[in-house]
Amino acid sequence: MSTSISSPAGSGTTAAPGRPIGELIFALMVISIGVVGFVAGASIQTPPSASDIGPKAFPYLVSGMLVLVGTGLVIQLLRGGTGVPEEGEDVDPNIATDWATVGKLAGFVLLHSFLIVPLGWPIAAAVLFFGAAWSLGARPWFRNLITAIVLALVLQFVFAGLLGVSLPAGFLEGFGVFGG
Amino acid sequence: MSLLEGFAVAAQPMYLLFALGGVLVGTAVGVLPGIGPAMTVALLMPLTYSLEPTAAIIVFAGIYYGGMYGGSTTSILLNTPGESSSIVTALEGNKMAKAGRGAAALATAAVGSFIAGTIATVLLSFVAPYVAAFAVQIGPVEYVALMVVAFLTVGALLGSSVLRGLASLALGLFIATMGFDSLTAQQRYTFGSPFLADGIDVVLVAVALFAVGEALYVASRLRHGPIKVIPVTGGWTKWMRKEDWRRSWRPWLRGTFIGFPVGTIPAGGADVATFLSYASERKLAKGARKKQFGKGAIEGVAGPEAANNAAAAGVLVPLLTLGIPTTATAAMLLVAFQRYQIPVGPQLFENDSALVWALIASLYVGNLMLLVLNLPLVGIWVKILQIPRPYLYAGILVFAALGAFSVNFTPIDVIILLILGILGFFMRRFGYPVAPMVVGLILGPIFENQLRRSLAISQGDPVALVSSPIAAVIYVVLIIIFVLSFWMRKRQSALEAETAADLEDDVDDGTGTPRASAAQGGPDADGTSGTASAAPGDPVEPADPGAAAGVSGAESTPGPDIVSGGAHSGASSTKNRKESP
Repeated sequence: MSTSISSPAGSGTTAAPGRPIGELIFALMVISIGVVGFVAGASIQTPPSASDIGPKAFPYLVSGMLVLVGTGLVIQLLRGGTGVPEEGEDVDPNIATDWATVGKLAGFVLLHSFLIVPLGWPIAAAVLFFGAAWSLGARPWFRNLITAIVLALVLQFVFAGLLGVSLPAGFLEGFGVFGG
Repeated sequence: MSLLEGFAVAAQPMYLLFALGGVLVGTAVGVLPGIGPAMTVALLMPLTYSLEPTAAIIVFAGIYYGGMYGGSTTSILLNTPGESSSIVTALEGNKMAKAGRGAAALATAAVGSFIAGTIATVLLSFVAPYVAAFAVQIGPVEYVALMVVAFLTVGALLGSSVLRGLASLALGLFIATMGFDSLTAQQRYTFGSPFLADGIDVVLVAVALFAVGEALYVASRLRHGPIKVIPVTGGWTKWMRKEDWRRSWRPWLRGTFIGFPVGTIPAGGADVATFLSYASERKLAKGARKKQFGKGAIEGVAGPEAANNAAAAGVLVPLLTLGIPTTATAAMLLVAFQRYQIPVGPQLFENDSALVWALIASLYVGNLMLLVLNLPLVGIWVKILQIPRPYLYAGILVFAALGAFSVNFTPIDVIILLILGILGFFMRRFGYPVAPMVVGLILGPIFENQLRRSLAISQGDPVALVSSPIAAVIYVVLIIIFVLSFWMRKRQSALEAETAADLEDDVDDGTGTPRASAAQGGPDADGTSGTASAAPGDPVEPADPGAAAGVSGAESTPGPDIVSGGAHSGASSTKNRKESP
């Protein structure tokens, strides 16, 4: 009947053309971390008092594992054995990667990290929520804004006020219930 | 005796409230896609700053058990499963729901989870002290052997690709070596940065990989459009008929006794247990019931759900007696203990017996609460399932940032969180499991210490690592586990291919049995053909799709629409399976 669902073999849409190259870069990164492990590991000092194998052996072991496994992955990839992207309820395997949204989300997390100290945690958190919800397509903006402010205040109240986690309260400094 | 003392602690109103809070949060996150118990415990790690150990551990244990219950609701009512361990449940439970039998599927899952959880907790109460008493006697050499087993099984068996799992594990071990060496106080891989001198905090890595990585990954391929939930009909007291009870109780018990032992060995956690239970139920079914498998057999929900919960209790045996986590959530529980400077290992039952027994007692209590809460409250869980996804993932990011900032109260940690989160994004994209990395990061330092102690005792002779009889036995068991699990994995993919093929056939000819076509929804259910909502053979369930939608609280979506939505996602998930190599 419906051709779109009964022809699984022909629809190679999930494998974006760039993916094997991305995977290859990731595998090479695994190898290079191992190489860095060996190079930087050489400068680890072994105190003469060490009675055991010392602080170098285990890092070398792990670096060796990274190089070996990474090489194995590169070989596997060159033979065509690509990875299976993770599945999930909210993940639509049939659409192309939305890099813009990923970039926006990462940008808002970064912005959040810069706002915590000057403006306080509640404002930084509200900005993060508002920006992330907007990036993910939530409309209208005023509902996002209200949700963001309420969530930030509730979290500040619960974690800083009730549980004593010292989040900088920013403009709420001085209100005991919001901690600080 | 000690268990009774544990109950005396856990039954205090304060702790009952903490347990209730834990199971509620646990069920909610179990229901929600994209967020699981491991992520939740990681996100709530700031609780350890203000709560005393017993309270925090009870909350986390409640989240652990609650997540197991919630996952089954999602896999039955939404086509794609939340917890990996519930995938098998989706095979049958989702078909049952589409055939109008969702209520029975939910009930058999909840009751089965309760029975299995309770029996498995009893087993845990009796087995764990003996294992601990034995474990106290073993030395570092045996420890090294046990941890090698844990590393290799977690690394190689948790994901779909052995090499990618091992790469993930190695990355975790590498991060674990960063910072000061605990024995000689030498700096390792700090690259001169004061931020790396203390190493990268486990919570930071866990939150980044589980929460930020997941949010970025879902954002890159977010499924748009309304969330299609299959409606549940009728009052919860009438959910299971006599026939359902008769068909369920044996699978519950079998699932329990399959799940608990599998959970105790590091063989891939609940996944393997649910699959084994499903395979055995399928094999044991006879005649017409056997034909029902793949189309909504209640045994295929009852057994795996029971096995799932029993395995969850089983996982606590190696965690509490040896300090070895075999799943991501167990790893986060271990971190919670570490936050309180409570050494988890064979000494735990001696040194902190009050805490351990309060934890175990709270598992009994939590299980009972979950049974009582789950069935009547299913309407609430369905509502939670429909949270707008932008808000869900924005909220996850805010919680992640909160968790990261509160590690050291410095914004630098939020930036490290982002970097590791991007790593988690690419790991998901390229099929690397993230759990081995977290386990490696947590067990790495313990492993290194034991390894160095072993080699110090043997004066550097590596043969000593395998010459101890117990260690040799452990390595032999490791080989057996590997052979067995590869065999099981082969069977699992064969079974999945078979089920997928069944589904394809039904969709293609479109003239299957009434029950089968109801299960598929029919590819052309476009609103005019609202016939395929409930099998005619189901006298108790109302067959009117409109009424069904009304009861579930699925907003104003008309019934046939829901069914057709289900059919489409069902077909797309089949496609997924087929495309996987």
